Parts: sequence; structure tokens; C-alpha cells
Amino acid sequence: MDHIAEVRQFLKQVLAGRDDRQPFTDSTSLFLSGRLSSVDAVDLVVFLEERCAIDFTEVGFDQSKIDSIDAIRLLICAAGVSR
Amino acid sequence: MNVYVPPISLESTPWGAERVRQFRIIPRLEAYPAVVSFAQTVAGKLVLLTLFGAGMTYFVKDWLVLSLCLALITFIPSRRRLLVTISTLIFTFAVPWRSFPLKSYTVSMIVLCIALGGMFFWSAVRFPRSWYGRRPVFVLLSSYSVLILAASSVPQDWTLWGPLWLFVHFFSIYVWFIAYSLLDHNAADRDPFKFQLGSYLPFWGSTTTPFAKGAAYLRRIEAKDGKQLAITQLKAVKLLSWALLLFWFGHWFDYCIYQYLRIPPFQTALALSVQRTPLPWYVCWASLIAGFFGGIISLCVTGHSIIAGCRMAGFNALRNTYRPLSSRTVAEFFNRYYFYFKELLVDFFFYPFFLRYFKKNRKVRLVAAIFAAACFGNAFFHFGRDLIFIERLGLIGALVNYQVYLFYCVVLATGISISQLRHRNPAPAGFIRGQLLPSALVVFFFCLLDVFGSTERNYPLSEHFRFLSHLFNLNL
Repeated sequence: MDHIAEVRQFLKQVLAGRDDRQPFTDSTSLFLSGRLSSVDAVDLVVFLEERCAIDFTEVGFDQSKIDSIDAIRLLICAAGVSR
Repeated sequence: MNVYVPPISLESTPWGAERVRQFRIIPRLEAYPAVVSFAQTVAGKLVLLTLFGAGMTYFVKDWLVLSLCLALITFIPSRRRLLVTISTLIFTFAVPWRSFPLKSYTVSMIVLCIALGGMFFWSAVRFPRSWYGRRPVFVLLSSYSVLILAASSVPQDWTLWGPLWLFVHFFSIYVWFIAYSLLDHNAADRDPFKFQLGSYLPFWGSTTTPFAKGAAYLRRIEAKDGKQLAITQLKAVKLLSWALLLFWFGHWFDYCIYQYLRIPPFQTALALSVQRTPLPWYVCWASLIAGFFGGIISLCVTGHSIIAGCRMAGFNALRNTYRPLSSRTVAEFFNRYYFYFKELLVDFFFYPFFLRYFKKNRKVRLVAAIFAAACFGNAFFHFGRDLIFIERLGLIGALVNYQVYLFYCVVLATGISISQLRHRNPAPAGFIRGQLLPSALVVFFFCLLDVFGSTERNYPLSEHFRFLSHLFNLNL
């Protein structure tokens, strides 16, 4: 499974944990729209650090960088870990 | 940002149980395509602006100026950010002009604060790889701390004591707004300072906690076309209506509790406990619970009216308070109760700590970052905000006086840490075990914590513990 598919699966689980069964696309805003909170952002950050080897102290952290699958895709590409 | 709202057709509105489930006190106006279309017309915009202005008469003295600013922004959306800055400047200088005690003096202090903010921002943008450019927020907050230290060590009979403290007071109002600008300095699409300025005590209102964060957040939540603007403004009118309902409910609540039932306010109950003439324990509980719920209503009214103004200007900001009583964990309540303050703590204390330290041990990393935010950050914010205590008592005296709130911060951080560390199982099925019981426990925790949080810093920690024990009918 590539990184983006893993992230998509992970986000599905997080949303389900919040009783959010609404569909989401790759461009759907998750944090700025309030569907996920900063508490969930922490889990996502750890996930991206562990699975995609992203070092946020290097790339700089901003919630908009993980706001959607598209944004995460850009982040992964920028960090040079895209498969 | 997506502003997708599932449409509701008037013909397809469900009946029966489903209709009851979907019932809203204030209907989801933004979900009706016909209403959204109307809100995009000139007549629709005028109707929304008129409704909004009428609602704002309850919350803002200068509602007419506010409405005119919003009308300009509504009809010239291509210049929205610039108009926000101009409106903010109008509300910073022109609107409160008559209330300024020493006009030129006050204006020069505000200009100095804004100029300093501009200098901090410009330096961070100009020298991003310098020692300062890599940690501008740290430098800003350290400078602020040094300024407070310096002001508190100056003797009161010094000629410049008054102007110095006045400047510190004004700077304390602006410091977190400037800090949000500095967070934006590295962004590829960062706003120039003229737009950053629009988020410094914005014209729709704010506390010292920046309401809706800074320019970077505004840029991302801004309505991009006429339809998004219409939806955002409809949500603004809805939120203001909700604020009005809560405002009236708050009046009724206060009347019932404090006049009809004659339950004393929490501060009175605490003062009587200090004087060794405590009220019966059940009256103390009533006083504490009433104060807790009254505080939530009051925060909702303030936050909703401010965010409604922000939305009316075309920014789809999240509510400051959103269904806090439905929270099933301590961390969730903290997130839902005062969203923008929590965001401030997360942005300036939690993430910087979490991303740098204790990376090898996930639990230690999480707890340390929570303490950096909910304990240190929270204490730092309030200590710097309530400068009057430092001015009156001196730095050491103010620190001693701060013991109760420090204790509050430690317990809050501990509560959030435990809440975050607990294994997150799926919520049990059923309303009572899945929702009611966990929510009641969370409310109970925060209610008890309010014994230490609702402090006017008049009494030592031991007196608050005495009150706490009295709640359980234990008289120390």
C-alpha cells in the first residue's frame, strides 16, 4: 500500500472514531473545516513521522499542510519520500 | 477551503422521526439552494446586512459603523482583505476616539505597538535564516517577558513609570496578534503586513485571544466566490441569532438563579467560606454549578457574536464554543469550550514542543507537550494578560498571588494528559453509557476545577481547598 492510501485509510479510521461517516475526497478540508481537531492532528503527525519519515522540524509544521489528502500528498512529495 | 453544504430541497424534507432528528431551533438556511441564490443578489445581501445590523445592536455600541464596514466588504469582495484592515484601523482609532483619556498619548502607544509588530514581522521575513528568523515567536515572547520584568523593577516614583506601564498594557493586548503574524512569516503565500494588520484586534471584535487566529487562518477560510460568501453570511446570521437566543436565555438564567432562587454567586460563597461563615454545602454546590453554566452561556454569547461578525465579513471561521456539554473526554471539552484559546496554546506551545522534544517516547512526548501548553502556556498567557496584579503587587507579589491559578493549570494539564493517554476504545453503545455518563463526568471534573479557575486572586490556595472540602461536607 502506498503512503497516500495508508493516510486515506488512517483518516477514515480517525473520522469513524468521531462518528463522522460523511464521505471525504482528496481535496476535502479536514482541520480548517472543523471535522478533525488539533488532538487528531497530533495522531496524524505521529503517523506521518513514523510511516512517511517526515521530520516536521525540518519541513515546518502548519495545520494547513495536513488539512487534506492533497495537501499531505504535497508534503510527502516535498519531503522526498513519495514512492 | 471547502464550504460544501448538502442541499435540502423544500419538497424532499423528511417527515416523522427523521424530521425530528434533523430539527434545528435555527434552520440550516445555507442548505436551501433557493435561499443561497437569493443571498447572492443585491437585495439578498441588503436583507442579510440589515438583519445582521439589527442583531448587532444588542452586542456592539457602534453597530452602525460595523454594519457600514461589513456592507463595503460585502459589495467589494475583491478588496476584502484591504477593507478589513481599513475597518480594523477605523475601530482601533476613530471609533473609540472619544473614549481615549489622553488622545495623542494613547494613539502614540497604539502606533508604537503596531510599528513594533511590523518591525518584528519585517525582520523575520527579511532574515529568515538568521538566529531571530528561525525563532521569531520565541524572541517576541521572551522580549515581552523581559519588558514585564523591566517595568516591574522600575521604582514607582520614576518619571517614566506611568508611560512605561501604559506601553506594557498596550503591548500585552497586541502581543498574541503579532505572534500569529510571525507564525506566518515562512509561508509561501504569506500576507503582506498591510493584511496582517487587519487581524490585529479585528473590527468584528476580539479578546486578547485572537479571534479567528491570524492572517494565515483568514486567508485559508476566506470565501472565494459569491456562493461561498452567501453561505458564510447565512451562517453568520444564524450564529448571531443563536447568540441572541443565548443572550436572552442568559438573562432569564441569571434572574432565576440569582434573584428568584437567591443562590449567591460563586465569589460570594467563597468569600463567606474564607470568613468562616460558610453557606450550607448544598448551596455551595448550587453556587458553583450555576457559576459554571453561567460562564458557558456568557462565553457562548461573546464568542458567537464575534465569530458571526467574522463570518459576515466573508471568513468561514469555526465557532469559539461548540456543544461543550456533549464532550466525552476532558481534552474534548477543552477543545470545544474555548476553541481559539486552545488553538493559541496549541500553536505557540504544544506543537513547538511536541515536534522537537522526547520524540523517542510517545507518551512522555505527549504529556510534556500538553504540560507545555495547558500548564506553562496557559499560566504565561494569563499572568501576562492580568498585568494589573504585577503593577500593583510587584513581580514577586503577583507570582505568590498567582498560586491558585498555577494549581488550576497543573490539574488541567494532568486531566488532559490522562484523557489523552487512556486507551481510546470505541464509545460504548447506548445513550447512557456512551454519552450521558462520560459527559457528566467531564462536566463534574471541570465544575470542581472551577473552584480554582474562577479566582479573583484574593485568597491563598488553602482557602480554595477549604471550599472544596466544604462541598463534600468536610469542614477543615
